[in-house]
Amino acid sequence: MSKQKEQQKSTSGKHIVELATFYVGDALCGMDILKVQEINKIMQMTKVPQAPEYVMGILNLRGQIVTIIDLGKKLGLGETDMNADPRNIIVNTPGGHVGLLVKRISDVVEADMQRREPAPANMGGIQGEYFNGVYKTEKELIGILNIDKVLSIED
Amino acid sequence: MQIEDDEILQGFVEESLEHLADIENDLLAIEEAGANIDEDLVNKVFRAAHSIKGGAGFMGLTIIQELSHHTENVLGMIRSKKLIPTPEIVNVLLLASDQLQTLIEDVANSNEADISSHLGPLIAITEGKFSQPSAAKAAAPKPEPKIVAEPEPEPEPEQESEPEPEPELELDVEPELEIDFEPELEIDFEPELEEEPVPLPKPSARTQTAAAALQSQTDTAKAAKPETSIRVHVSLLDSLMTLAGELVLSRNQLLQTIGSDDLRNAEAVGQRIDLITSELQEAIMLTRMQPIGNVFNKFPRVVRDLAKKLNKKMDLTIVGKDVELDKTIIESINDPLTHLVRNSVDHGIESPAERKKLGKQESGLVILKAYHEAGQVVIEISDDGKGLDGDALAASAVNKGLLTHEQTQAMSEKEKVNLIFLPGFSTAKKVTDVSGRGVGMDVVKTNLDQLGGNVDIISEVGRGTTISIKLPLTLAIIPCQIIMTGGERYAIPQVNLEELLRIPANQVKDRVERVGNAEVVRLRGNLLPLIRLADVIGVERTYYDNYDGEVKEDRRKMISDRRGKESPAFRKDGHEEQRVEKSDKSVRSVLDRRTSANSALNIVVVSTGAMKYGLIVDRLQDSEEIVIKPLGRHLQHCKGYAGATIMGDGRIALILDVSNLARMANLTSLDGTDRASEIAIAADEAVRLAKDKQALLTFKSSQTEQFAVPLNQVERIEKIKREDIEQLGGKRVMQYRGGSLSLICVDDVAMVQSIADLDDLLVIVFNIANHPVGLLAVGPIDAIEVAVEVDDVTLKQQGIMGSAIIGGHTTMLVNVFELVETLFPEWFEHQETFNFNESSNTPAPTILIAEDSNFFRNQVKGYMTEAGYEVIEAEDGMIAWEKLEENADIISVIVTDIEMPNMNGFELTEKIKRDSRYSHFPVIALTTLAGEEDVARGKAVGVNDYHIKLDKERLMATVHDYIKRLY
Repeated sequence: MSKQKEQQKSTSGKHIVELATFYVGDALCGMDILKVQEINKIMQMTKVPQAPEYVMGILNLRGQIVTIIDLGKKLGLGETDMNADPRNIIVNTPGGHVGLLVKRISDVVEADMQRREPAPANMGGIQGEYFNGVYKTEKELIGILNIDKVLSIED
Repeated sequence: MQIEDDEILQGFVEESLEHLADIENDLLAIEEAGANIDEDLVNKVFRAAHSIKGGAGFMGLTIIQELSHHTENVLGMIRSKKLIPTPEIVNVLLLASDQLQTLIEDVANSNEADISSHLGPLIAITEGKFSQPSAAKAAAPKPEPKIVAEPEPEPEPEQESEPEPEPELELDVEPELEIDFEPELEIDFEPELEEEPVPLPKPSARTQTAAAALQSQTDTAKAAKPETSIRVHVSLLDSLMTLAGELVLSRNQLLQTIGSDDLRNAEAVGQRIDLITSELQEAIMLTRMQPIGNVFNKFPRVVRDLAKKLNKKMDLTIVGKDVELDKTIIESINDPLTHLVRNSVDHGIESPAERKKLGKQESGLVILKAYHEAGQVVIEISDDGKGLDGDALAASAVNKGLLTHEQTQAMSEKEKVNLIFLPGFSTAKKVTDVSGRGVGMDVVKTNLDQLGGNVDIISEVGRGTTISIKLPLTLAIIPCQIIMTGGERYAIPQVNLEELLRIPANQVKDRVERVGNAEVVRLRGNLLPLIRLADVIGVERTYYDNYDGEVKEDRRKMISDRRGKESPAFRKDGHEEQRVEKSDKSVRSVLDRRTSANSALNIVVVSTGAMKYGLIVDRLQDSEEIVIKPLGRHLQHCKGYAGATIMGDGRIALILDVSNLARMANLTSLDGTDRASEIAIAADEAVRLAKDKQALLTFKSSQTEQFAVPLNQVERIEKIKREDIEQLGGKRVMQYRGGSLSLICVDDVAMVQSIADLDDLLVIVFNIANHPVGLLAVGPIDAIEVAVEVDDVTLKQQGIMGSAIIGGHTTMLVNVFELVETLFPEWFEHQETFNFNESSNTPAPTILIAEDSNFFRNQVKGYMTEAGYEVIEAEDGMIAWEKLEENADIISVIVTDIEMPNMNGFELTEKIKRDSRYSHFPVIALTTLAGEEDVARGKAVGVNDYHIKLDKERLMATVHDYIKRLY
């Protein structure tokens, strides 16, 4: 309960959230940096036959088994190029650690959540349901990912 | 209600639940003792109730306090012997303690609960108004006996006079103390254990009850509290601390050596760390170990309640409560065990009346037993009830459409009993609410399978049933076989592993067979279904190249693929074709993959309870102890894996779930064995159809050579001593049935080794040309019925018809006629033969012989030509018909085999007899086995006479007979 409160404070209280931004395909996406445990480039994955298509494999993160999800595939933007030095964003979820494979890491952006705009139904080829909204900076448009939705396993 | 300190409340809850767990068994013991009150025991229960009351008062949990107070009152009366604990009273107390437990498990809402239904009977008891039987009845089944409940408003806790003042002191401090002073608490309990007079076997082994109670309670309260805690003995924690300290020291040493480049020292440090790690691992594993008593302890109550409900008399004996198992296993076996125990009580044990009739003791006995065996823990649930009737189970399975009648006939008694684990099977004729909703046993089995356990049932009708469950000690670290497929490593738990099988490339073709899409391998006479791991998990098929160590793509579709279109089992003339292929192969290059070591098959034979199958993998690697790590939720639906593990090189290997793999390959337990046996039957059938079956008597003459004669020629077999043989007039004879029996040996005629020099001999008696003759032989003799291919070339000589492989030995088939003919030609001089050449000028009569086997055809042809007949040969019924049409004018008699390709003997006969042109021809059928059915069928289609192949004498007599009639 207390954690939720804290989060509320940081989001709706001050309305300022630090977004970790990264490229999925050519789309710039962001997520609350507090949900990110670490970013690494361990690519020594073990393939899991029969896993959903978007699961790249599993890797050993200091003794923990982490499922790596190719965010590009998951969001329908095509496979992430493994030769282009991609990164794993390790997210701590209630069901264990999950890694999101992204093409490139970008800046940390301080975003005022009050200026967040609702996501369009389709943004750069990504289904709108994966976004909590979009945030405009001077130069770019950041899609704020709904991580819970991205990591849901209904399909 | 405000509760300031979560920790104190938590402490209260844990301790209270602990007390309650004890109370239950103690109350049962009190009930058992009846009027013979064991004060210590009652005191203990009293104190427990008192502690709960005190704690609850301190926390402001008024309802819990009230209920425990009234319970305490009743106990006080029992203690002071004002009340005799009848089963009814104990029942009320038990129900109250159950209610207390539910209240405490949900502390936060306990103050809103309605406990009037419990207070009523309790107060009634204290006030002496408790009309025992009726009230008990009302109280026991339904918790709502409002009638007695209302009138009395609860008295204040302080009103009661019985309890001594001293416990008051302890209760204030207890909640805080409990965690820190835990070892003391345990010591506290121990003396009690020793003092207990053990009225029942149940309340023993009290040492671990603290942990036990907590465990079983947290179990049931799981939904409410996802975070479970565990109690660990301080001494164990101490040793863990010491080990951790040592680990830190070793780390420091390691860091130092790394800096100093001292290799020898590094090795020593490495060893040290290795040692400490394993010790640490063991110690940590110990913290997870829990006595199985945690689960067993609740069964006295379960059995008692059930027995009451079913009006049965039950005794429960528990053995081996101290056996320890991993916490997770303890938690998960609770439900399966409960189910099994309930089953024993409900279905296994008969009613007292029935038992009396059967001469058994009225009260049924259920034994729960746990013990160690070969690194595993075995739990046995046995009862002395009516046992499982395999035939009844099988019949029931057939009725339910789970199996066919044929399938059940092939099953052993044990397999039948194990049918109870089939999904959708329930033995209870009517469904009771106690057990048996038809979903029971298969769920039990699935649960135990998931734990890596095995279930086995041994049952004897009328004597009882024993179900034994084998469980691994722990699930956290398991030994596994590492295998490789598609370039990735996988682990197969050793418990599932039966054996490793490597089939060399040149044997693959002979040992792996394909029926439909299923592949099977012959393993020691059984057919084992095969699954390719790569196919099941859907990766590209690869093979591991031993020469360059690379993983390459495999393009063959079936391991059993070969150039011939049919499997040898179904080939009509498999013999020749195989030979051709073999010679063909040697021409190919050595590097051909079919013969290179790379094509060898690596098969992991795994078993999951009833089912056994072979998993084909690319490579077999070491066996390793691995730590199971769960897979993330995105991979939960990948049923083929039980988890993952981290290998020595830091990479991950998936752990295979062999039972799910089988399911994924559509190889369910019965299917698998079924399919295998079907295939086996089909293969045997095919072989049998291709070759005729022969009844043979095998024997030896010298110790090394095996011989056989057609069994139907044998009159009898006599055991004789060597001194019984008399040598007279250059001939060997013996006295036999008042006359002399000529004795011959195979080596008298054939060039074989002479008869063994033994004192005990056998005489196989034949009747040839109306003379009995004895063939001397030595054992072992055996009458067998086999489908053999007779080789009439290699070993053929005078007296030997040919040879065949029987039971793995080359066996010579003895031609007894020839032996006798050679030795006693005079016997045949008076033989009735048809010497037409002398008697008339007509050409020799012609006989049409239809026979598919070269060997038999040549034999019969030999008899005929010897007797002076002309012979027309036909390889099958079809050809025979054609030959008959061509040569109808010269043919006199038709001799036909029954089993032939294209057109069999019956069909041929029918065709001949239906055709007015040929219906006058006598047809003599030859068979290897003259079964009554065959004879009847033959007669029906018009066969004139039946003869057994190789029975030359009778055949010829018949032929002569028919020929004579014609001329």
